[in-house]
Amino acid sequence: MQETQDQMRQPEVTNLPVADERGLISGVLAKDRKATAEFVGRCADWVYPYVVGRLIPRTEIVEDLMQEILLSAWQNLPNFRGDASLQAWILGIARHKVQDYYRKRIHEELQDDEESSPGPAELPRFDLQLDIAAQQQRVQRTLVLLPEAYGLALLWRYRDEKSAREMAELTGKTEKAMERLLARARDCFRRSWNDTER
Amino acid sequence: MTQSDDMDRGFERMFSDFEHAQEQVPSSLKARLYSALVREQQASGPLASLDFSVAAGHGICVFEKLVQIAPIGEKAKSPFFCAVCHARVLAENLENAPIFWPNCPYVAFKNS
Repeated sequence: MQETQDQMRQPEVTNLPVADERGLISGVLAKDRKATAEFVGRCADWVYPYVVGRLIPRTEIVEDLMQEILLSAWQNLPNFRGDASLQAWILGIARHKVQDYYRKRIHEELQDDEESSPGPAELPRFDLQLDIAAQQQRVQRTLVLLPEAYGLALLWRYRDEKSAREMAELTGKTEKAMERLLARARDCFRRSWNDTER
Repeated sequence: MTQSDDMDRGFERMFSDFEHAQEQVPSSLKARLYSALVREQQASGPLASLDFSVAAGHGICVFEKLVQIAPIGEKAKSPFFCAVCHARVLAENLENAPIFWPNCPYVAFKNS
């Protein structure tokens, strides 16, 4: 069941034919500017939806992260062995970069905040009448109102389905501190959710 | 089922809907990424010559063609000529930039 959920979370992979992929990679490694243009076009198409979805609504960081991902791909391309497709490989780099970003921002938030008390464990009043598109828009509007670390923590926990324990390990914090952060993030989200109704 | 489990499920349901969102890459972003990557490539040594690109089956734009046929050494043909081209500036700053000539990578980004 867990495996199925993990597969569902992966972006759709549409592989290039192997010969095309090898030709493209050897062209980029030879610093052929035309092959590099094709590489950038394809990689950007594969990675952008993933990155945007993980940083909603703060898209100002998307370009920096996309650039980091592509430069990292270029630097590591000589090590690409072709065990997986190029698309799967570069999406793996993207996942690491996004996770690094979450980890750094949430770590910073927790630096000054170790002893804060948890927020009230109250259920948000989600409007079940909203259709999916309207709900997505409202979630985005709500996330805009949250401190960045709160929004990222909620995305990491509920979109990437990381447990509080995993998040704590990755940020080098205690599970208790992570649970307190998540409690405050949920509470802030609940209050802001109600504000977006007005 | 605890209240905490209930709340987690509510949030999971709400955030999982983002999975369906499909985003198209802005062509100006592709253009900036391409320029940045080629500059990075240049930083570690010369780019492949235009002859190499042509031999690999790629088309080159009219400006690159002029350089390719010029009676100059191979080394002089390897810089990133797009760095001084107005097509790059337009493409990096505008969506649907008014650039149209064939085999320009920035035009290709616009059309992708």
